[in-house]
Amino acid sequence: MTSLTHEPERSARPAMLNRLDSPLTYQILTFALFAIGWQIYGTFFGGLLVPTFTETVAALVPTLVSAEFWEAFVVSNQALVLGFAAAVAIGVPTGIVLGRFRTLERLSNVYLNILLVTPMAAIIPLLVMSVGFGLLSRVILVTLFAVVMIIVNVRAGIRQVDPSLIQMARTFGAGEAQIWREILLPGALPSIMTGIRLGLGRAVTGMVIVELLMVSLALGGLILEYRGSFNGPALYAVIVAIIAEALVLISAAQWLERRIAPWAPSAGKARS
Amino acid sequence: MIEINQLTKTFTSQDGTPVHALGGVDLTVNDNEFLTLLGPSGCGKTTMLKMIAGLQGWDGGTITIDGKAVTGPGPDRSMVFQNFALLPWATVMDNVCFGLRLRGTERRAREERAQELIEMVGLSGFESKRPGELSGGMQQRVGIARALAVDPQILLMDEPFGAVDEQTRRLLQEELLSIWERNRLTVVFVTHSMEEAVLLGDRVVLMSARPGQISEIVEVPLARPRSSDVGGLERSREYTEITAHLWDQLRSMHSEHRAVEAVR
Ligand SMILES: Nc1ncnc2c1ncn2[C@@H]1O[C@H](COP(=O)(O)OP(=O)(O)OP(=O)(O)O)[C@@H](O)[C@H]1O
Ligand SMILES: [Mg+2]
Repeated sequence: MTSLTHEPERSARPAMLNRLDSPLTYQILTFALFAIGWQIYGTFFGGLLVPTFTETVAALVPTLVSAEFWEAFVVSNQALVLGFAAAVAIGVPTGIVLGRFRTLERLSNVYLNILLVTPMAAIIPLLVMSVGFGLLSRVILVTLFAVVMIIVNVRAGIRQVDPSLIQMARTFGAGEAQIWREILLPGALPSIMTGIRLGLGRAVTGMVIVELLMVSLALGGLILEYRGSFNGPALYAVIVAIIAEALVLISAAQWLERRIAPWAPSAGKARS
Repeated sequence: MIEINQLTKTFTSQDGTPVHALGGVDLTVNDNEFLTLLGPSGCGKTTMLKMIAGLQGWDGGTITIDGKAVTGPGPDRSMVFQNFALLPWATVMDNVCFGLRLRGTERRAREERAQELIEMVGLSGFESKRPGELSGGMQQRVGIARALAVDPQILLMDEPFGAVDEQTRRLLQEELLSIWERNRLTVVFVTHSMEEAVLLGDRVVLMSARPGQISEIVEVPLARPRSSDVGGLERSREYTEITAHLWDQLRSMHSEHRAVEAVR
């Protein structure tokens, strides 16, 4: 018996390493190609606004130690944190309710679709007119960007819970509250985590767009400023920093997803 | 004793046409009987089983268990599902404990009981695995252990071995027989397989479709206990004759059905 239970683990190990290894190798390889391509393009056709890869890396260092960058970073992330938290707080319960109650879902579908297809940038003037240029309107925009992703994924998660699990619980005398606690919520957890991860990506987009288009402030403001002063390397460095932040956040969410819902076969892989 | 009287049920399908799932079914299941339900797809086997389980309402007729009308699920009945219906996030132990936990059994007592059943179905050593790490046959063992953990008088099984491979299915059949022989338990077992129906059942209830009705009840005179000599039984004359008879009946149902479809 013991040898039976241990054997798969031993043979699974190298297989797992293989799986981890190959994407990483490809990632490094493609990144190297990308960097070389960038370097060549920047050297021969770059001109004033397209720095080379090495120039960007060189600019990244002073940018990352400058007070100006970190002040902008903090201001930007205020909107991100507040807006994303609000999106999760609104999106998860909304998605759950919509997933379970068909009538509500039919009533709300139009609005969700509007939120999904409207280019969010288009409602920025509206926001500015009604809420002003302050932190609040930035937070609202980040929320709007992220909340749809969360709602749609959570709703799908609740809906795809196997109905026979609910029947199974009923045969043991489960009431509605127990079905929620024991079946629906744990069953939807992987999708809830996926929704949160995808919502996070949208929230970062929202954060940058609002600063570029609405109030030239913080990181978005830096981008505009460096563009205005033709400081290519610094401009690219800021963008790289934003991308890096987004990647770190998404990886953290992915890690969390795998930790919280390890039974989901596709945790962190699907729909990304 | 389960007594079913003039049970009828009509569903409305998506396009609004009525589907006569059950058209007046009368059936009595005796205590400690192993009853198998056999019939073509769509004849209402699952529907009837769910009604006995208290999961599904009906239009006309009555179902009583020991004289009491069925109005919902109850602690006297457990169900085993074709697709296992295991919680993918829970370990084998937690899955087997699930029914006891919902019923408020205290942790130590339920884990002790679950451990007994895990051993009974031969899954010792797998207590902390999740369903995704088990084969189909092992998953259904968990489903059976979970259903038995709450000590039901009636076990309702809806094609429990329909989703496992032939060899595993034969092993599970033998094990189910031996579990049933050692426990006082009424079993209602739905299957598509004539061989399975005859091998397991005291009686085989043959159903026909549109509307779902009982067309014949066949007594299986094979000696008990059967778990010790399944191979011998399968070569016996009675076994061969009954399965052949059931197939004749089913085949004529299928060709009738084809004729009906052709007329439409
Ligand atoms: N919820 C429902 N809504 C509409 N029709 C239904 C519903 N449940 C069952 N039916 C119909 O009732 C009939 C009997 O279904 P049931 O699932 O009981 O058949 P079955 O004998 O279990 O078939 P199978 O062997 O394929 O499992 C079928 O025609 C089916 O389409
Ligand atoms: Mg069925």
